[in-house]
Amino acid sequence: MTIEGWIDFAKGPLFALTFLIMILGLLRHFIIQVYQLLTGKGRRLRRAPWKTIVLDALSWVFPIKHLIKGTIFFSAVSFLFHIGVIIVPLFLADHIVLWNNFLGANLPAIGQSLADYLTLFTIACLLVLLVFRVFSARHRAMSRKTDYILLLVILTTFTAGYLASHPKVNFMSWETAMLIHLLSAEFLFVLIPFTKLAHIVLFVFDRISAVHWQLRPGSGDKVAKAIYGEEVHI
Amino acid sequence: MDLKNVSGNKALNAPPEKKTYPYYIEEQPSSNRVDQFLCAFAAVLEYSDYRSLLDSYCTSNAKCNRCAVTCPVFMATGDPRDIPCYRTNILLDIYKRYFTIGGAIKARFTGGFELTEDIIDEMLEIFYRCTACRRCTRACPMGVDHGLITRLGRYVLSLIGIVPKALHVSVREQLQGETHNTSKIPKEALLDTLSFLAEEFKDMTGVELTVPVDQYDRDFVFFCAVSDYLMEPETLLGNAAVLYASGDWDKWTIGTCNYDGINYGLFYSDWHLENIIKQLLREVTRLRGRNVLIGECGHASRSAHDFVPVFGGNSAYPVVSFIEYTLGCLEQGRIHLDPDVITERVTYHDPCNVARSGWIVEQPRKILKSFVKNFVEMEPHGQENYCCGGGGGLVSVDEIHEFRMEIGGKMKAQQLEKVAADIIIAPCANCKKQLKELVEYYKLPSKVMGLHDLILKAIEIPGGKSPAERKEEAALFEI
Repeated sequence: MTIEGWIDFAKGPLFALTFLIMILGLLRHFIIQVYQLLTGKGRRLRRAPWKTIVLDALSWVFPIKHLIKGTIFFSAVSFLFHIGVIIVPLFLADHIVLWNNFLGANLPAIGQSLADYLTLFTIACLLVLLVFRVFSARHRAMSRKTDYILLLVILTTFTAGYLASHPKVNFMSWETAMLIHLLSAEFLFVLIPFTKLAHIVLFVFDRISAVHWQLRPGSGDKVAKAIYGEEVHI
Repeated sequence: MDLKNVSGNKALNAPPEKKTYPYYIEEQPSSNRVDQFLCAFAAVLEYSDYRSLLDSYCTSNAKCNRCAVTCPVFMATGDPRDIPCYRTNILLDIYKRYFTIGGAIKARFTGGFELTEDIIDEMLEIFYRCTACRRCTRACPMGVDHGLITRLGRYVLSLIGIVPKALHVSVREQLQGETHNTSKIPKEALLDTLSFLAEEFKDMTGVELTVPVDQYDRDFVFFCAVSDYLMEPETLLGNAAVLYASGDWDKWTIGTCNYDGINYGLFYSDWHLENIIKQLLREVTRLRGRNVLIGECGHASRSAHDFVPVFGGNSAYPVVSFIEYTLGCLEQGRIHLDPDVITERVTYHDPCNVARSGWIVEQPRKILKSFVKNFVEMEPHGQENYCCGGGGGLVSVDEIHEFRMEIGGKMKAQQLEKVAADIIIAPCANCKKQLKELVEYYKLPSKVMGLHDLILKAIEIPGGKSPAERKEEAALFEI
């Protein structure tokens, strides 16, 4: 198969398949979470401080008040990275064709120059985050292989996409850049439900720890009985 | 706050020393702690409902490290093992490997993570290096509640017998002992103490009163941290002064079958947390009381406030914190505080258990500002406060005193030095003990007391001596 053939394949069936994996994977997370909460917590869900939970979650959409001395630069970079990583894939004119073809969604497009700036900005943010992961002892201590892999895959997707649309700076053929862009993006689709990128959906469930302090009545005695038997001496 | 920029005290500026702080365990599990841990974890997952939480956290935890710069323990040590997210990830790794399908498949093909005796050792140390202040949770963009996960880790460890002896023995006495309280104070000793307190009250205020004991059908059944009866008589006298001055003296009682508000279950065990709450509620039911009145104690207030509704069923009586009660009396004009007797510089320490959630932050400040002219805030304060360093039950563990002073409480000690207050108000039995030890350890020129200790000095007692008179008498006594 020629490289054009591979591009068509990546734009067509492979895109549909990987996108479906992502959607189904995220949907699985959502359904499992809702099911576990409803069956596990049941009526106790009503007692949770929902107003506080919702307001707190919303405060993280523009997390200015959450800036902390010692992490202001890192936090700002992370936040700005999220702007680029959400807006460019969804609203770039070239991508809108894809969304229209596969989902029938007709999203508004952002201008090419804004898209370019956002892409470069996102790449810069990714490099900064990567530098933190590699050179900060604190971040390194926390990091696993996937933390590096995810950054590299997103970096590849954005960089290849930019090169594909800017022949002047593209040091490889358009076809090669486009194929790398498509394949890395599709690899990312597959990774999303299985890695921390699942926070696209799980963010909502992570933020409801107040719900989880609504412990299950009677569970302690059952646990003790299962471990120690009927006669329990503390 | 910069660790190196606080001037003055050499001990406060000393570089952290990397060492372990073992605590006594009554009886170490004999062998194969790995299997025992996994069995206990399995039982918790079977009968509790932590799965959705763990599923969500172990998939989406961002490991961004923001929690590190908010943790007073990490700020004091710089040791990556003290990063809240690091601690959380140990338990999440165990969960993922042994209790999820993905983990099992991954282990089959690639090996990967395996729970070992060394990891058990690491957990038993680092889960008790955390003061459970939950400051990190507010900083986590994902909302990961590291305090809840640490508590879950402690819970599973406790089920295989790994729990500081100080906490274990106290809970055993409270739930299965003869006295049903953590300080092992028998009923007779309680009654003697109450008589002594009444005499003190008379000497101090000129008013004679009898403390209501085992009275039925009262509005409030009072539970304080039982250690207050031994160590904090001034706090209790302050509580009594408010109840007397407000005209509510015949509306409250102490029960003699259970008079302990302490609930160490909050720190390490769902099992004990629930049974201690139920024991407390049985006493209210026995006395046909209408409200649970909790004395000055952060964790006792939180455990009652948050878990009486969860575990109380039909006996879920309303829970009133004494601070809220006092503020209510003040706002209704039922008590009066003399604004001229307290001239010292006063600051307020927020106990994590009541402040972090935003529940009790402004109330004590309203009370203090109503009669303290020279009130000054520590920075940060309120929901962003630093833990005293003795939270999560650590203050009761005497053998880690050095850890509490050198690491857990170091940020707080620096705050105290910087604010340079004459009086530090801490409305919590645990915080008071820890802060008194910090003040002594770092030789800080401050006095630590409870909120109602200070109120006692300024409250106007109907038919009794005025606050100014009492102040003069106290000065003579001190000379």
